[in-house]
This record gives sequence, C-alpha cells and structure tokens, in this order.
Amino acid sequence: MNGSMTVLRILPEIIFTLTGVAIMLIDPVMPKQASRKPLGWLAAFGALAALIASLYQYSLPVGTAYFGVVQTDAFSVFFHVLISGIILVSALVVLDAVHPDTESLGELFALMSFGAVGMLLMTSGVELLLVFIGLEISSISTYILAGFRRKTAKSPESALKYFLLGSFATAFFLYGIALTYGATGTTRITDIAAGLATSHALPIAVVGLAFIVIGLAFKVSAAPFHLWTPDVYEGAPSPIVGLMSTAPKAAAFAVLLRIAYEAFPQLQNHWMPLLWILAAVSMTIGNLGALRQKNVKRMLAYSSIAHAGYLLVAFTVLSTDGVAAASFYAVAYAVMNVGIFAVISHAGGYEDRLTLIEDYKGLAYRSPLLGGVMAFFLLSLIGIPFTGGFFGKFYVFAAAIHSGMIWLAIIGLLNSGIAVFYYLRVLTATYTKPMDSSPVLNVPRVSAPLCLAMALTVAVTLVLGIIPGRVLSMARHAAETFPVFSTQQTPVPGTASAVMAAINTKAR
Amino acid sequence: MNSIGPLTLLTALPIAGAVLVLILKRAQKLSRAVAIVIAVAALLATLVLWARFDSAAPGMQFQEVHTWAPSVGLTYHVGVDGLGILLLVLSAVVVLMSLAASWRNASHGPVYFALVLLLEAGLFGTFTALNFLHWFIFWELTLLPAFFLVRLWGGPQRGRASVQFFFYTMVGSVALLLAFLALYLATGTYDFTTLAQMAQNGGLAAALQQNLHWGGWSGGHIALILFWAVFLGFAVKTPVVPFHGWLPDTYSEASSETTMLLTGAMSKMGIFGFLRILLPIFPAQMQEMLTPLLWLAVASIVLPAFAAWRQKDLKRTFAYSSVNHLGYCVLGVCVAAKLTGVDPSLAIEKSAALTGVLLQIFSHGLTAAALFWFVALLERRSGGLRGLEDFGGLRKIVPVFCGLMGIAIFASLGLPGLNGFPAEFLIFKGAFPLAGWAATAALLGLLLTAVFLLGILQKVFFGPLGKGQLETKTDTNSSSLPAAMRDLSTTERFALAPAIALMFVLGLYPQLIAGKMAGTVTQWTTPATSATEAYKTTAPKHNAARLEAASGAWLIHRKAQAGKAQVAD
Amino acid sequence: MQSHPYTWNYLPLLIQVVVAAGLGLAIVGLSWLIGRGRASKAKLDAYECGVPVEGDARGRFSVRFYMVAMLFILFDVEAVFMLPWAVIYRHLPVLTGSRMFGFWEMVVYLGFVVVGIFYVWKKGILDWTNDRGDL
Repeated sequence: MNGSMTVLRILPEIIFTLTGVAIMLIDPVMPKQASRKPLGWLAAFGALAALIASLYQYSLPVGTAYFGVVQTDAFSVFFHVLISGIILVSALVVLDAVHPDTESLGELFALMSFGAVGMLLMTSGVELLLVFIGLEISSISTYILAGFRRKTAKSPESALKYFLLGSFATAFFLYGIALTYGATGTTRITDIAAGLATSHALPIAVVGLAFIVIGLAFKVSAAPFHLWTPDVYEGAPSPIVGLMSTAPKAAAFAVLLRIAYEAFPQLQNHWMPLLWILAAVSMTIGNLGALRQKNVKRMLAYSSIAHAGYLLVAFTVLSTDGVAAASFYAVAYAVMNVGIFAVISHAGGYEDRLTLIEDYKGLAYRSPLLGGVMAFFLLSLIGIPFTGGFFGKFYVFAAAIHSGMIWLAIIGLLNSGIAVFYYLRVLTATYTKPMDSSPVLNVPRVSAPLCLAMALTVAVTLVLGIIPGRVLSMARHAAETFPVFSTQQTPVPGTASAVMAAINTKAR
Repeated sequence: MNSIGPLTLLTALPIAGAVLVLILKRAQKLSRAVAIVIAVAALLATLVLWARFDSAAPGMQFQEVHTWAPSVGLTYHVGVDGLGILLLVLSAVVVLMSLAASWRNASHGPVYFALVLLLEAGLFGTFTALNFLHWFIFWELTLLPAFFLVRLWGGPQRGRASVQFFFYTMVGSVALLLAFLALYLATGTYDFTTLAQMAQNGGLAAALQQNLHWGGWSGGHIALILFWAVFLGFAVKTPVVPFHGWLPDTYSEASSETTMLLTGAMSKMGIFGFLRILLPIFPAQMQEMLTPLLWLAVASIVLPAFAAWRQKDLKRTFAYSSVNHLGYCVLGVCVAAKLTGVDPSLAIEKSAALTGVLLQIFSHGLTAAALFWFVALLERRSGGLRGLEDFGGLRKIVPVFCGLMGIAIFASLGLPGLNGFPAEFLIFKGAFPLAGWAATAALLGLLLTAVFLLGILQKVFFGPLGKGQLETKTDTNSSSLPAAMRDLSTTERFALAPAIALMFVLGLYPQLIAGKMAGTVTQWTTPATSATEAYKTTAPKHNAARLEAASGAWLIHRKAQAGKAQVAD
Repeated sequence: MQSHPYTWNYLPLLIQVVVAAGLGLAIVGLSWLIGRGRASKAKLDAYECGVPVEGDARGRFSVRFYMVAMLFILFDVEAVFMLPWAVIYRHLPVLTGSRMFGFWEMVVYLGFVVVGIFYVWKKGILDWTNDRGDL
C-alpha cells in the first residue's frame, strides 16, 4: 500500500479535522472579549482548502484505503466537492449573520468543520460501520448547531426534537446494518451484493435494507419521516439551517444511492416501490404543507421535503441517468437553498427577528441586492430556465419519463405547479412596496463575506442553468462508478435474476 | 456554422441594452433614451433581416447551430422562416410602441425599461429557436420580465393578477415539457424541423409506437395525449377560450403599456406555437380532433365578443376583444389543419387561411398595441379613469385623439382599407369552404365585435360629457387631475403617426407582408415528404399560380416573387 | 481433557465471579458478626455523603455534575479504545505492512485526546468553583 496515496484518499477529511482542531486550540486562548470572526475565516479557508483537495482527488485513480473502508471514486469525490463547497459558503454566511461577540462562536465554527468530516466520510465510506460513524459525527454536530441560540426557547427545543428523532433514526440505521450483517456476513458495501447472492437469509436482508432506508429517510426528511423538519428549521439559527438542510442531506442521499445501487441491486424490486412511494408522498406532503405556512423558514422546510421527493424520483429510475440526475439535483438544490438561507439569515438576522412572509414585504425596495438575490433563488426553486433549478428538475423528470415512470413524473410536475404558488407568495411580498411601519426597514448593511457567499451561489446556480454540460458529465461519471451500471449489458448469471426467482418462490 | 450569426446578435442586443439601462440607472432621462435607442436599433435590425429575407425560399433562413448540452439533446439552433421574421418585426414594433408610450409615464423608471428590453430578448429568442429545449428556455424566460412588469406596475389587484398569470402559464408549460420529454424519448431529438419531417413521413407515429409503452396504449393514442398536452400549453398562452381565465384580470390590472406588450407580442407566442409546433408535428392529430378544435376556436371568437360587449371597463373590453381576434387565428390554423393530403382544389383555401393568419398576427399586434396605447393616454389624462361610463363627448374636447383612436377601433373592427380587413377576409375565405359551419358561427363574433366597438365609439366620443371630464372641470382643487383634458401633444401625434400610417398601408397593400410569406405558406401547403424537393418541381408553381387567381388582387405580386425564385433555382 | 466442553473456557470467569461475590459477602457478613452494633440517629440515616432519600423529585442539580459525568464518560471511552490497540500491538506491523504505523496512529489519537483535555481545561470546565466556565 502506498502510504502517501493512502493519506491523499482522505485529504479533505484531514484538512477539515485539522481546521476544527486548530479552531479548538485557538479559541480558548484568545482573550474572551476578542472577536471570533478570524476563526470563521479560518473555517472558511479550511473549507476552501478541502474543496481544492477534493477537486485534486479527481486525479487519483479509483481505489480504497485503510483496509478498504474508504474509497475515492468519481461518486465520492463529486459529493466531497459539493459538501466542501456548502461548508465554505455556510461559514461565510455565519460570519455575516452573527455578532462578533456571540457566545461560543469558536465552537460553532469548529463544529461545522467536524460535522463536515462526518459527511465526507459518509460519502466515501464503503464500510457500513464507517458510514455509521460518519453519520453520527455529522448528526451530533448538527444537533448542537441547531440548539446554538441557547437564550431562546425555540432553538433548544429544535435541537432536542432533532436529537431525539435523529438518534431514533440512527438506531434504525444501525439495526439495519446488523441485520444486513446477519444475512450476508459482511458490512462492506461492495461485498454485500456478492453476499446476497449466496445468502440463505434473504428476508432478513430485506428487513435490514428497509431499516437502513428508514434511517436515511429520516435524515433526508422524506415524508412520512419528515415531522421534525419544520420545527427544527424554525428554531435553529438561519445560517445553520442553510447548512443542515443541504450538506447532511446530500451526504445521506449519497449513502442511500451507494447502498441501493452498489449493495442491494438485486433487491431493486423491493426498494424501488418503497422509494416510489416515499418520493410521491414527500413531494405531495411537502408542497401542500408549504402552501399553508406563514413563516418563511417553515415554508422552506416543507419545500425541502418536497425537494427531497423530487430527488427520490430520480432514485427510482434504476439507470445511469437516474443516479446522474439525482447527483445533479443534489447540487442544484444545495446551492440554491444555501443561497436563499444566506439572504434570510442576513435579513432575518441570527436572532430570527424577521421570519414571517409579511416581514419580507418590500425587501427589494430596502435592499435591491438582497431582494434581487432572494428573487433569483426563489425563481430557481420554482425551476425557471437559466437557473440550476430548471435543469435539476428537467433531468429528474426526463430520467423518470425515460424509464417509464410516467405517473411519478406527472405527480412531480403537478407538484412543481403547486410549488409555484408559495414561492411566488414570498416573491410577491419581496416586491411589495413596504408600509412605513414595516420592520424590515432596517436591513443591516451587506458585508463582504455575505457578498462573497451570494456571488458564489448565484454564479454556480447560473452555471448549472446555462452550461450544465460539465457538471452533468461529472454526475454521469459519478454514476458510472457503480458496478451495476457497468455490467448492465452483461448481467452475471445467477445473481440478480436467480435471487429474485428464489425470493419469489420463497414468498409463494 | 460556428460563427455568431445575425439572429444571435439580434437576441443579444436587447439584453446588452437592458444591462446598459441598469448601469445608467441613476441618470433617469439618459437611461430611458438609451432604452428607446436600443429598441429602435432592434427594429432596424429586424427590418434589415426582413429586407434580406428571401421571400420565395422555403425552410429556415439565417440558420445557426452550436452545441450546448448535447447529453440532453439541447442544441443552440436558430433560424427563421416567414413566420419567424414576421414575429421578429412585430415584437420590435410593439416593444418600441410600448416604450414610446411609457416615455411620459413617470412611474416607469429605468428598471421598467430594462425589463421590457429583457422581454424583447426573450421574444426574439422564442421566435427564432428551432430546438424545443432551447425554445422552451426562452418561452419560460419571457414569463419572468412579464411577471415583474405586471407585479410592479399596475392596478391595486396586480399582485393577484400576476400570480394568476404566472400560474396559468406555468401549468401550460409543464404540460408542454412533459409532452416533449415523451417525444424526445421516442425520437431522440428536440429539433422542430426534424420532428416535423418525421411527422410527415409517418416516422413519428412509428417511433411513438415502438419506443413508448405506456399501459398498453397504441402510438396513435399516445400521440393524441401528447397533442392535447402541447395544445394546452399554447391554448393558455394565446389564449383559447376555456383557458383564458388569467387574461382579463392580467390585462386590466397591468399598466396599459405592459398590456400593449402582453397582447401585442406575447399572445403571439401561442399562435407561433400553433404554427411552428402543433401544425407541423401533430397534423394527423389536429385532423382527428378537428371538430372539438373548431368548437374551441368558435368559442374563442364568439364568447369573448359577448363578454366584451358587457364590460364597463375599457381595458377589460379590449382584453376580451383581444381574445376574440386571436380566435380568428386559431380558426385559421384549425381550418388549415383540415387538409393535409394533396388536394389542389382546397390547397388554395388552405393557403388563403394561412396567409390570413399571418396577416392577422401582425395586424392584431399592431392594432391591439395601438388601442392600449390610447387607453394609456386616456388614463393619464383622466387620472386613472377608464370606465366606459366615465367618458362621453370626447370628440368635442380632444378631436385629434378621437380621430386617431377611431381609426384604430375601425382597424380592429375590420373596416376595409385598414389592416384588419384583409387578414380576417382571408381567414374567412379559407374557412368557408373547409369548415362552413364554423365560419358561419364565427361570423356572429364579427358582428358582435362591430357592435361593442361601435358602442365604445358612441359612448366615449359622442354624447354628453362624462364623469371623467366633468370631474376634471369641477374638481379643480385636486392637483392630480389636469384642469381640462388636453388633446394629443405634438410629440404624441408624431409618435402615434407611424402606427396609424402602418394600419392604412397594410390595409391597402397587404402584399407587403403576404409577399414575404409566400415561400413559407407554399411550404406549409405542400405536404410532400421533403418540402425543398417538392418546391423544385413544378407543382408549387402551379399551386402559386392558382393561388394568385384565387386570393384576390392584393396577392398580385406573388407571381413575380415566385417567378424570381424559379429563376434563382 | 481433549474433549472438555467449549464452555469450560469460561471457568476462570466463573471463579472470578464466585470469588468477587464471596469476598463481598464475607466482608459484610464478618463485619455484622464481629462488629458491635451501637445504633445512633446519624448512623441509621441515609449514607453520609448521599442525597436525602426523601424529597421533591424535581430537585435541581448544578449542570456541572452533568458536565463532569459527560467528560468522564468521554475520556473513559477514549481510554478504553487503547486496550484493543495494546492487545494487538505486536501484530500491527504485519497487519498494516508498516513497522511504526500502529504506533503513530495511537500517537495521533492521543493527540486528539490531549486537544480535548486542553480545550476543556482552558474553557474552565474543570474548575469547579470558578464561574468562568462557558456553561
């Protein structure tokens, strides 16, 4: 094993760890009154370095390291880049939104970095136990981050709800791993498929897979496992919501994709209908729920449930197109959501002064920049051409139609019609002339880090909307790492079809 | 074909203009002037293209192809035929008229002008695109500036109206997108020309049959479903009657200058869709569904005319009248669809109807834009009043205004000598032999149009002075109203003069447009597998000759044009 | 001898359980037998350093107790991780293919533990009386 190569395979994780450790070391020795903003910049630069390291990982040959528990391939690197980017932008947004003397600000930045380590390990881990540890690292960080505004009642409430339901979900996930191990004798994702082919306990594997899916569905807030989402998003600090509605979800989706397509391709007739239902229910509940919200953060929480549904549509497609569409959508969704929360955390403030839709009346008149950016991301969430949202939805539904999922595509498109209503409600409020007494009057000055964050997200959304070819080919490349697609033309006899036949005869 | 062509530059011009206007935002006067200059430049550019457009040649001209995102079938492919060039000129004319109307409107700042220019770019993009995805992107993109134009400037209910407008159109677009995704799945292409060719030689139905397995439906049924989905998209945009719910509110709540754009240029996107997509790609389905389609067309002609008659608000009246006029276009298209096989005896009627549709597109754009311009002028003078009951006897106070607006109303009514007449005449000429009952029923719409337009004329221009003017006289302490209604200023007269002149020119010499459309119409009426080849045979010449004989004196120049084309070949 | 049951492997464990239980019983029993029981109120009360046995269930504790308990668990578990490492330390060069890899891994690991202690210390959480702690 080449030692330096081994280290390079977890380079972004190492960078994030060192960043977090450095923040932890510097924070306590700084004078108590000193501004913690430099630590935020440190976190941002750490994320930037990790982003560059992730991009560098594209040049590495596909392979595993550390006894085969982590694997760098086009798929994991794709999500490495995405998550590092989200952390970078989120750090900038936090820098803008919080007061320099917010208590334990250093911890916040350290937790962001450590959480990123967990998310990156989730995407690159091919050993279920490592994935579980990554999931726990990222979850525990986000639990704490959600409760960071300790002085208010809502934030700890949100953290507690998130913690209780989240640990419940991870328990499901762990139990699923245990059952899978019982059925196949391995916890290595790449070996499970082979283990299934010779397994004598397939029903147990099916139950294990179901538990794993339930655990991850909690994490991505797919309905009917979505109940925590609105409350948590409402209570958590806005800049953190931007982070936790995107990065951990992207990581959980990556895990789900890897497990579904790499570990359990033989059981696709079992998980496909399951995900079909999850997708349809998530889209519908998310959009219908969002219609009735008065609070922008709750509305976006429901919208994120709906977007999880759109993404799950791509899951059911069972082709390179589907995985590529899901990966692309993850990027498009993450960028626009982080972007819109950047605006909300600036206008609403870290303390959530303004979160009702009414509060946003006239934002565009008070600050044309913020209003414009907000409008841009709302339009992208609707799915207007020349934004990432359009091509994201387009690929997802195109993939669904191409694989004959007509009804799912129709449900999805109807839902995106409903979605127009509530996004436009915010958009309309933004461009309504404010009354003199409206509270949004004193929008604080837009700072440099926020400008940077908005410029980055707007630019990426535009690139995704105008020249999506490059990112799409990267996503496609990522999808091709799954052996199930490379061997699709020549299916190995005695695996999938034989297993399915065995299950069917047993069922009878 | 890798260099940047004229159509791309044309689309880029208003975008650059919009950016420039926003940069010069601080200098209000200057930025407005820049916007007008850009609009004039765009108009000149379209006129240059018009002049260089080879009227006799079939197929697309000024074509340009670039790769964009090949993995999803997205290609940058632009080109215009007669329909495209006509709509380019019309959009440029309407945008310029709208900007000119906004010139004196203090509430329309630089942002308004920039949005209008962006809308113009979207329209240019839509009317030139030949790849569905590329076209769809621009189609959706026009929605944005339009939404903001309605949302930010207009009446008290504009918020609701704009959301309604956006939502209706989005639903239509979703149906369109879904249908084309299915088409792409079956055929592997989004290219309009290729799809049309496939439809003509039967490849499309075969591909649908072979590649789509939806619950055991046959290719024909799937094609029919796709046809209705696409139809929904255009029916909402045009609008065709049961899908017009968004229109009256949107047109009346938007500021009149915006309504000029909505009715003059944007409603033509729907007709464009009918002619560019529905007719060539789904001819068999249109034929199959001809009776319901004709019913819809007749409903779009007659019912809005009734509705217009009952309105008390000038803007709502003209809004319904706009649906009515576009109904003639839909009728023309449907009638043309009746005949796809080679049947020389009816080909003449078909080409008359299609020529009529093209004329009507331009004529309605011009007239409707002019009418709403007059409404804008009236609103500004009366302090926002626009009810029918608010005015009366205007002829005595503002004679020039009444004269010019009267011309526009007569043009809209279809008085011979003005632009509305040849268009509607040709449509009916085609419609009677092909679908007599529909044409007869549509005549009722023509009659009603005359009734309510003359009603407006009578109530507003003649009779006793109405509230609108009385208030201006009694309520002198109100500073928002002018002391007495002023007649058109010299600037306004100069601004309106070209539009009015154009109405006369097109009324007396429709060949100006019809001549340019000759090649396109011939192509549409020649249902050969390859239109280009067919054109080179003698058949079209024969056809063209018969056409002239049948289509009346205003088509007299066609022979010369066609002859020229033959020489060129 | 060669055919004793598998469970015989656990014989030492059983002996340990018996010894531990016996020792406990012996101490308590012997003190009861040998000791002279002179009861007083203080001696019959709840054990001296514990909390009162009766009272409101919603009594408050200082959050510091939780902090210390949590820190204890954290560092305890971290220390436990060293045990398996120590057991297989001799085999690590063969397993990893590098002579010192296993050693340096533990150094890195301990480094993180030290950073944790440093952080906790500097934040003043170990300082019971000082209110400086970021609680």
